[in-house]
This record gives sequence, C-alpha cells and structure tokens, in this order.
Amino acid sequence: MRQWINRLLVMVMAMTILVGAAGTLAAAAPGGLSLPRTGEGVYGLERTDGKYYTITDEHNKPLDYTAHILYPGDEIITADNLRYQITGIRGDIASTRLVGKEAAVTVNSFLPAAGGTSGQVAAGQQEIAIYHTHSDESYDPSDGTSSIYAHGGIFQVGDAFAAKLKGEGFKVLHSLRPHDPHDANAYTRSRRTAVELLKTGPAAIFDLHRDAAPANVYSATVDGQPITKVRFVLGRGNPHISANLQFAKEIKAAEDQLHPGVVQGILLTQGNFNQDLTPRSLLIEVGANTNAKDAAERGVSFFSDAIPKVLGGVTTGTRPIVELPATGANRANWNAALWIALIAAGALAGYLYINAGSWQGAWDQVRRFLGGEFGHRIRDRR
Amino acid sequence: MRIPLGMIVLLLISLLIYFGVAHRVLDRLRLSDKAALAMIAALIIGGFINIPLPAGPRLEASLNIGGGVVPLILAVYLLTKTSAKEKVRALVGMVVTAAAVYLTGILMGAEPGNMLLDPLYVYPVVAGAVAYLIGRSRRGAFFAATMGVLVVDVISYFRLASSGTPGAVLIGGGGAFDAIVIAGLLAVLLAEFIGESREWLQGGPGVEGKAPALLKHLRPLDRNDRELKHSRREDDDHASMDK
Repeated sequence: MRQWINRLLVMVMAMTILVGAAGTLAAAAPGGLSLPRTGEGVYGLERTDGKYYTITDEHNKPLDYTAHILYPGDEIITADNLRYQITGIRGDIASTRLVGKEAAVTVNSFLPAAGGTSGQVAAGQQEIAIYHTHSDESYDPSDGTSSIYAHGGIFQVGDAFAAKLKGEGFKVLHSLRPHDPHDANAYTRSRRTAVELLKTGPAAIFDLHRDAAPANVYSATVDGQPITKVRFVLGRGNPHISANLQFAKEIKAAEDQLHPGVVQGILLTQGNFNQDLTPRSLLIEVGANTNAKDAAERGVSFFSDAIPKVLGGVTTGTRPIVELPATGANRANWNAALWIALIAAGALAGYLYINAGSWQGAWDQVRRFLGGEFGHRIRDRR
Repeated sequence: MRIPLGMIVLLLISLLIYFGVAHRVLDRLRLSDKAALAMIAALIIGGFINIPLPAGPRLEASLNIGGGVVPLILAVYLLTKTSAKEKVRALVGMVVTAAAVYLTGILMGAEPGNMLLDPLYVYPVVAGAVAYLIGRSRRGAFFAATMGVLVVDVISYFRLASSGTPGAVLIGGGGAFDAIVIAGLLAVLLAEFIGESREWLQGGPGVEGKAPALLKHLRPLDRNDRELKHSRREDDDHASMDK
C-alpha cells in the first residue's frame, strides 16, 4: 500500500514539474504566450477567441450573453428574477435549467419613515468605497481601445459613480490605484487596496469593471437616455456568498422600483473576487467594452440611486430615504455564519477522524483538548 | 446605519475561525501558545503599518508590517530552527512556489471565473503540495508558501521600478488577510492534511529508519494490542539508553 502511495506521489510530482516546464517554455517562446489582446471583434479579456457564451433556457431560447467562462453549476439570476443553473456547456452555448423564481425582496425603505426623521442618517456619516481591480478596462467607442494600461476608461465611470453618491450624502473613497497587468494575480494585488479601503469602515465596497460582450447585451434606454446596464458578479468560492447575494438582491430590488431595466442580472460564478473580506462587497460590470463610456457613466448614475435606499443616506429633495430593516440581509448573514461554522466543524471532525483513525479516537482527542485547555482553568477556580 | 446583528455575528464567526485556525497552525510550527498569540497580534496590528518603498511617478510601493515583515521574520526564524537538509528543501520549495505563482499570473487567464480555483487558493495548494513532496514538513510548507508569494511581489516591484511602468506593489498590504499570510497558513494545513491522510491510508506512521526520538510518543492504533505497546516501551528505553 505504502509503495503505491509513494508511486502515486512521485507521479503527481513528475506531472507538476512537466506542466511547469511546459508553461515556462511556452512563456519563453517568442509570441508563444502573451497577455490576451483585445481588438476589433475580440470581446475582451475573458475569452480570447473573440467569442462569448450564449446562455439558453430549457427551450434553447437565449437568456443572456457573457464572455465570462462558465462552468456547470454556475448560476444566473435574470433581470426578471428567474434563477437558472448552468447544466452543460457545448461550444459557445451554456444550457441551463430553471431553478425557480427568486422570492421577492422586501425593500421597506420605500415607505416613509415612521415619525419623520427616524432612520435617517446624517450627511457624511456613511462611507462607500470604490476601486478597480482591472484598471485597464476601457470602452472601445470612446477610448479607441478596450484596454489602456493603468489608465482605463473605467476610472471615469468610477468618478461618475462617486460623484453621484457624494451628491446623495455619502462619503466616498474612490481608489484610482492601478492593479495592472490584467492577469490572474490582479485580484491578489487589488485585495490590498480593498483591505486598505475597509480599514475606514465603509458601509459597502464596490469593485467596478466593464464586461466583454456585444453592445446590445448591455445597452438600454432609461428616461429617454441611452445607458448601459449594470450586472452583479458574485464569487461562489467565497464564504460570504449568501450575504453578498442578499445585498445584491436588495440593491436590485430597489433599482427595479426606481429605474426598471438598469440591472441586467446577477451572475454567480467561480472565484472569490475578494468578496470574502466583507459581506457587503460587490463586483459590478458597467456595460461592456463595446458600449460608449458616457452611456456607462449614465448607467452607473442611475444605478447609484438605489444605494441610499438600501444603506440609508440623507434625504435629497422630497424622496423618503429610510434605513432598510434588513430582515432578509440579516437572515442571509445568519445563514452564512451558520454555514461557515458548520463547514469548519465538519473539516475539524474529518481531520480528527483521519488523525485518530476512528470516531472514538477523534472524540477522545476532543475530550483531551477540552480537559487540557479548559479543564485546568475550571480546576484552578475550584 | 444600524448594523444588523446577523452581520456582526457573521463577521465575528469568520474572524474567530480565521484567527483560531491561524493560531492552531502557528502552534504546530513549534511556537508556544503565547508566541502564536503574539504572532497573531503582530499580524493584526502590523497590518495597519506600511513602510513606503522608493517608487516612481506612477508607481506606488510599500511594505506592510503585518502582511509582509511579520510573515517574513517568522518564516526565516522557522527555517533557522531546521536541519541543513530541510533548509535546502524549503528553499527549493520557495523557488518552485514562486515560479508557480508567477506562471499562474500568466497562464491562468485574467478572470477568476475562468478558473476552478481562485488564485488566492492556488498559491497555498501549490506551496503545500510542493513542500510536502519535497520535504514533508510543515515548516517547509509555511516557508515555501510565504516566501514564494513574497518573492513574486519583490520581483514585480523591481520590474515595475526599473521599467518605469505605472502600478502599485503593496507587499503584504492586506495585513493578516493578505495572500502571503493566507498562503502560509493554508499550505501548512494542506501539508498536515496530506501527511495525516497518507498515514491513515497506510495504517500508521512509517517507523523504519526514523530517529527513535520521533517514535518515542507513538501510541499503538489498536488500544487492545498490549504487546505492541509493550515493545514500543522497550524501544523507548533503548532510545533513552542510546542518549
């Protein structure tokens, strides 16, 4: 048995070295491996083959389009709150099954505040943080290219978002720090920016991106103005996913009442997106590289109107803005906390079982630990 | 804004588990309970202190105490406590991990959505696996993972500084939640998990050719097997006599 395990480990090691060597050779070869390029007909940096996925329902009717590479198990919540799970991917088609309709999110903040000012928040008290992991992302029609190293057009869209939120009474921290190059380590670099921003205790933190898709996927008209829609992207590999999702749903519900059609939907995909750092961390895609930047700026301005509805803020004009009792969010937080505790307990139990070789042994270890760590304290007290 | 109780509980549980796991991991690296606690305090408090590094017009560079200096000192300290053979293994592990982190950046594509595993978890998996295969050592895993991620940051700093490319290199800027710290902690857990699973599969630790001191406290798996226990005790006596 031991011999077989050793052989297996050596094989794994050999394969790791082979893959590493192949990667190094590929990287060293002239033109063999370079950062993905974007250009005409190439929908961005996610899929480099110039194509995108069409997400279809059970009757092969297109539901949505994205250049995010999808895996079975990923989910989308459409603009009309239908939840689909991706069941299979064939070529550029991601087929789904309908999971169901999302329960209506109660955004009680639309009711006037009971007793006048209760629930209102003084100006400048609440902070919103904004940063850009992919600081190169740009808009082809306005910037002339979809990627400008460290100076992406996405910064101006962030400015528009920040300006609008400031007008709504929030204190806004907008980081213009570049995290280039646009590679797999960009989120590791931007994680540091996110942590830095979180030190001041913002009520929420947004990572602003633009997607890579055909122009018509994100373009819309609201109040007679051409805008781009906004999509939430949530990382399934993040322990706060349920709390983040609830936060996204609340913003979507508020936005659907204020400006229907601005929120394109919610994509739940692989990854973490630094959303493990706080339950109120969201990644939003404001339009795509094929949309005009001013349309994206208008889109994010309309989107920002929902934020004070969910987080509170200050009254501007006559609109009643009241703090959300957040019963839904609270339940999601409790669920997330419970899941984290259960998974940790499960991992611990599994480890102890392997370590001790039997459940009895594992239990003995727990008893020994409790006896050792707390037992003497109890004894000391006596 | 009133923060919902559920969110406070969620954050508290997340932090307690994270730092609880961190404490247990440090405990396993031959630090005492108190030293491990002091290290965690240093990670948290140090996370608020940045040392600026020389930078260019659009290059921002700093070294964080909690996410960069503390893990570095700990990794080097742990390395000094090992044998020459293990030092070499840990250094090889560091180089392999650094290469893997660097290649991850180039090969894995830009979107975490394109990967089955987020890069944040890829680093420790690579470092833990490499360190286990090379040295089968927890300290080796911690050193390889921590230093591997850190080395890539240092390379990236010099690359950006020398070429005048705009960017930001905030080494360890995430403090206790930085990729450097997470990589170190998870790599130790992984090495531990692989090691324990392997022992479990083969029905106990290998004893052939191991130093008697390592076998001294081994308990027989079958508690009724008195004979085995007895013979072990004799071994112990021999071991102490040898000393």
